[in-house]
Amino acid sequence: MKFRYAKLIALSICGSLLLSACGGENAEPQTNADGKPIISWLNILHSASPPTDTVLNKIEELTNTDIQFSWIPDASKEERLNTSLASGSLADIVSLTILENSSVRNALKAGVFWEVSPYLDEFPNLKEISADMRNSASIDGKLYGIPMQKQVSRNGVIIRKDWLDKVGLPIPKTTAELMEVAKAFTEQDPDGNGTKDTTGFIDRSDLVFGAFKTLGSYFGTPSGWAVSEDGKVTPEFESEGYVKAMDYMKELYNNGYINQDFAVTAKKDQQEGFAQGKAGIYVGALFDSKNLLNLAKGVQDDMDLIMVNDITSTGKESDRAIWSTSNGVGGLLAFPKSEVKDEAELKQVLKFMDDLMSEEIYTLMTYGIKDVHYSLEGNAATITDTKLWEQEVQPFSSSRPNENGYDIHDSDPLRVESDRLIQENTKYAVLNPMYSLESATFSEQGSELQKMITDATYKYILGKLDLQGFQDAVQTWRKSGGDKIITEYEAAYQAVQNQ
Amino acid sequence: MILPGFVYFVIFKYFPMGGLIISFQDYQPYLGIKDSPWVGFKHFIRLFTEPTFAMLLSNTLILFALELIIFFPIPIILALMLNEVRHKMFKNSIQTIVYIPHFMSWVIIVSITYVFLSVDGGVVNEMIAAFGGNKISFLTSPEWLRPMYILQIIWKEAGWSTIIYLAAITVVDTQLYEAADMDGASRLRKMWHVTLPAIRPVIITLLILKIGSTLELGFEHMYLLLNSLNREVGEIFDTYIFTAGLKNGQLSFSTTVGLFKGLVGLILVIIANKLAKKFGEDGVY
Repeated sequence: MKFRYAKLIALSICGSLLLSACGGENAEPQTNADGKPIISWLNILHSASPPTDTVLNKIEELTNTDIQFSWIPDASKEERLNTSLASGSLADIVSLTILENSSVRNALKAGVFWEVSPYLDEFPNLKEISADMRNSASIDGKLYGIPMQKQVSRNGVIIRKDWLDKVGLPIPKTTAELMEVAKAFTEQDPDGNGTKDTTGFIDRSDLVFGAFKTLGSYFGTPSGWAVSEDGKVTPEFESEGYVKAMDYMKELYNNGYINQDFAVTAKKDQQEGFAQGKAGIYVGALFDSKNLLNLAKGVQDDMDLIMVNDITSTGKESDRAIWSTSNGVGGLLAFPKSEVKDEAELKQVLKFMDDLMSEEIYTLMTYGIKDVHYSLEGNAATITDTKLWEQEVQPFSSSRPNENGYDIHDSDPLRVESDRLIQENTKYAVLNPMYSLESATFSEQGSELQKMITDATYKYILGKLDLQGFQDAVQTWRKSGGDKIITEYEAAYQAVQNQ
Repeated sequence: MILPGFVYFVIFKYFPMGGLIISFQDYQPYLGIKDSPWVGFKHFIRLFTEPTFAMLLSNTLILFALELIIFFPIPIILALMLNEVRHKMFKNSIQTIVYIPHFMSWVIIVSITYVFLSVDGGVVNEMIAAFGGNKISFLTSPEWLRPMYILQIIWKEAGWSTIIYLAAITVVDTQLYEAADMDGASRLRKMWHVTLPAIRPVIITLLILKIGSTLELGFEHMYLLLNSLNREVGEIFDTYIFTAGLKNGQLSFSTTVGLFKGLVGLILVIIANKLAKKFGEDGVY
């Protein structure tokens, strides 16, 4: 009996050793049965389910690789990326879309990933990445991956045009006019069903990508941080615009011009609510208009949308502004040294990245396969089967390393218009001056500290905190580490200025 | 036959305890325990000096006290009542009905609550409005979080927790009931003087075990209910460990919080066990 136990224990110990050994070693660059290199990719999934193989096979064929995706749902990306970093279970390519997260930043600085700047110019498409983009995506002057190039700012207001006509109001140009529209949408029964069951705005529990930050821009709030001429750094929530935006939201809330549960509403519920005709004003990415219209098919067939991106609080063209939180950097496609063992393998992955940036694969990842998912007329692509496109193509569209400067475009008028407005936003974009600067305290405690401000902002809007209370929260923020962050940013800013 | 249990505890319980060492380090996964810098009690000092600590501790203890006072007796009462039901079919169907919620995940239960309690179109609020009352924002009010939390636990777990008491009741010697009948005891008297004393050891054991998991209130449940507006009463050690450790990647700090939580639980169990023995019960060890 004793002997058997000993054997069992020995076996289980061996088993656990074996398991731990599996994690680390795989020195040889792996190839599949056809001799194609296998490239694994830890990627973020922005749609409901992973894509089918149709488009994937095509990409594999064009890049001569065998791609193996591990998809992380967008909603749980923080914890999943952090656990992957902590346990070392990474892939050849890791999509790091949350560069401001402290542990991601620490990992980058600790040298877990390859620094790619010396290699970029060897590849035709990667070479095209502008110096500005490289700088913005760098940490401590080093570029730890291929920047995902996005538009600088894509936010604006989407309004139901058919409701506007019904209540007889013009397209709003100022925040005051927007308030009028919200009021009319709430009180004048724009859907004509005889009951007062609509609101002006519909928002979600997100102070950044929801309505709050965009409204803030209209009141002149800086994006993240403000730097004065003499190099003083102040956080956005100490600006006048921030308080004005809070007051505006408060007015919306108190009058019932916004869904009363916006502080606990998920994005999905927000969009569905809009599509079901519960509200007439949506603030978010301008290209959401097309998704909203798609969602509304069969539910609100007379929905007609208009996008507005030129609202100001003063009515003056010179005050136009729209925030950009990451200055057009959507994240990094990074290559961990634990998976990509040597330079030769790194070049192989970079080659793959370079291929992904070609017009052909961009089109594939955006519109799908010609005559299957879309038809082409000149350079205008029309998606022929939205359902199929959503299943087979959409997940790839958020994985593209670059979204700018391609000839082929969507023929859908709403999409053409949103592209135009997003392009126009670039001129008025308020950049985050601290985005590529370093603050050790911000890296360590930033996300935790921000929670204090987020909580206080919601409480102020919902009337559970007065201005004094909000300012007290800001003081607590300063005392608990905010002051240190400011000093560190000022030093970092100074260092860059003096270069 | 002790081996499987032994192996389980070594692999999944005792071996990972070694990992607690990182609460004295600034642990970096890519450096490992060996090379991460040692920082002494830095994280403990941070935990005890941060303004959140008082909030975390009081929230956790208040919720635990509410669970103990309000939730703990309910399965006992329910079991006693079920035991009195003589109609077999009726009893079984009641039992099944009260068990069912146990098999639903917290995600589902919290979602159902959201549907019922939301301000725009929530059933409860629509009813309040129909009777001319003012709508209540249950989901964003700090004062509604605790009642909601406890009610959800009762709804989900009360039925399931009766199982062990019902089992204990079945082994009560029937002669005791017969003797009580002879003495002319009513059903209520029998419940009080026979059934309840008979299951007292079970109650005490479960109470001690419950106290042992004081600070383990169930992460998932609270995490789903938390938002910016009720955080001041809802943030507990479990949710804090999750956000600090997994979302923000402060592995060392959250390990410290977890270690502290475990120590408090251990101390409370020892005290509870001592008390139980003092009152002539067996205790758990």
